[in-house]
Amino acid sequence: MIAALCIDDNRGLRFNRRRQSRDRAVTADLLRSAEGHKLWAAPSSVSLFPEGAVAACEDFLERAEAGEWCFVEDRPLAPILQKIEALVLYRWNRVYPADVFLDVIPWEVGWRCICREEFPGHSHKLITKEVYLP
Amino acid sequence: MKRTVPALCAILFLFTLALTGCPLPEEGGTTLSFSLEDVPEFSGEPYVVLNDNQPDFPEEDKTTNSFETYSPLDTLGRCGAAYANVGVDLMPTEDRGDIGQVKPTGWHTVKYDIVDGKYLYNRCHLIGYQLTGENANEENLITGTRYMNVDGMLPFENLTADYVQETEHHVLYRVTPIFEGDNLVASGVQMEAWSVEDGGECVCFNVYVYNNQPGVTIDYATGESWLTEEGEPSGEAEDYVLNTSSKKFHLPDCSGAASISESNRQDYTGTREELIAQGYSPCGICKP
Repeated sequence: MIAALCIDDNRGLRFNRRRQSRDRAVTADLLRSAEGHKLWAAPSSVSLFPEGAVAACEDFLERAEAGEWCFVEDRPLAPILQKIEALVLYRWNRVYPADVFLDVIPWEVGWRCICREEFPGHSHKLITKEVYLP
Repeated sequence: MKRTVPALCAILFLFTLALTGCPLPEEGGTTLSFSLEDVPEFSGEPYVVLNDNQPDFPEEDKTTNSFETYSPLDTLGRCGAAYANVGVDLMPTEDRGDIGQVKPTGWHTVKYDIVDGKYLYNRCHLIGYQLTGENANEENLITGTRYMNVDGMLPFENLTADYVQETEHHVLYRVTPIFEGDNLVASGVQMEAWSVEDGGECVCFNVYVYNNQPGVTIDYATGESWLTEEGEPSGEAEDYVLNTSSKKFHLPDCSGAASISESNRQDYTGTREELIAQGYSPCGICKP
């Protein structure tokens, strides 16, 4: 499974049960990256995507199989760490308030960054995309 | 669209009552939902959540009409609540200009090595420039620590601004400075926001941000400050002569003081530390 997440400069994911931010450029990049593979997400993430673009259910992390993508906004990665084949981080390059943080820090657990690229967002000046392998 | 701002006396009355813990009607018909007594002491986190993050905006303001309002300064020259329904039409289209001419109450130009950027105080926008494009509006600028400005308020401004930019929706947004008694420096600010078109689904917060700076103690009555580990300066008040142009201070009988032009000369009674904190340096002749 390939897990994709958005984080701020403090590794924050969420604040007050809400995503910190959103950008249609991230959605577009994620859809391009996952093209040809199944893309999973929680029901609360569906509104970010075009109709029918994602398979949504609460237990999507358990159901996703090898090679399939998961967009993760609201839950820890630690319970499914062994399933992760690659981790894609979209970095907002901003600080937002946060009370939920990324629980697996790839560079702290020795994962390799194999790709880093930057692209302009719609509402963010510059978004950084990083891909890590265990 | 500019809305009518509330009367000065009403704001003073409400602040006074709010600080006594009485939940009473605030401007716009809402209620101040907390008092400083309910806020825990600063413990190293830039903000605390109020009322489970639920803001308190009047139903009649939950529309898609953008507006911004700024309270008139009170009799001490202090800011009151700044309130807006932020839409893309209010957002700035050019870079921020100079705001150095505004001197909010309690303002001191003072530097510490332990502060990011050295300067303890920023001219702190209540409603951030990125939201409503207000530049040197004295009704929107308070004396705020670097820590409050950058670590406390900016993340909430970012969250709000990026949401509005992305969705072109509106966010009700209010920042209320909280002054204790006649203090010239706010103890902190209450920040509230609620996204209108989606009923608060994407933006919803109510927090108190501390106007503190780790490692520095602030006298909120005056804005004076000192390094916490060094304790409050105990210097005794003396008479000095200031050159407000060169920012030098002299003893009254110094030959350098005699040559200061009337327009630049100011007599001052206070401590040496206070003058240094205000950006003055001692004369090299009389070495005050």
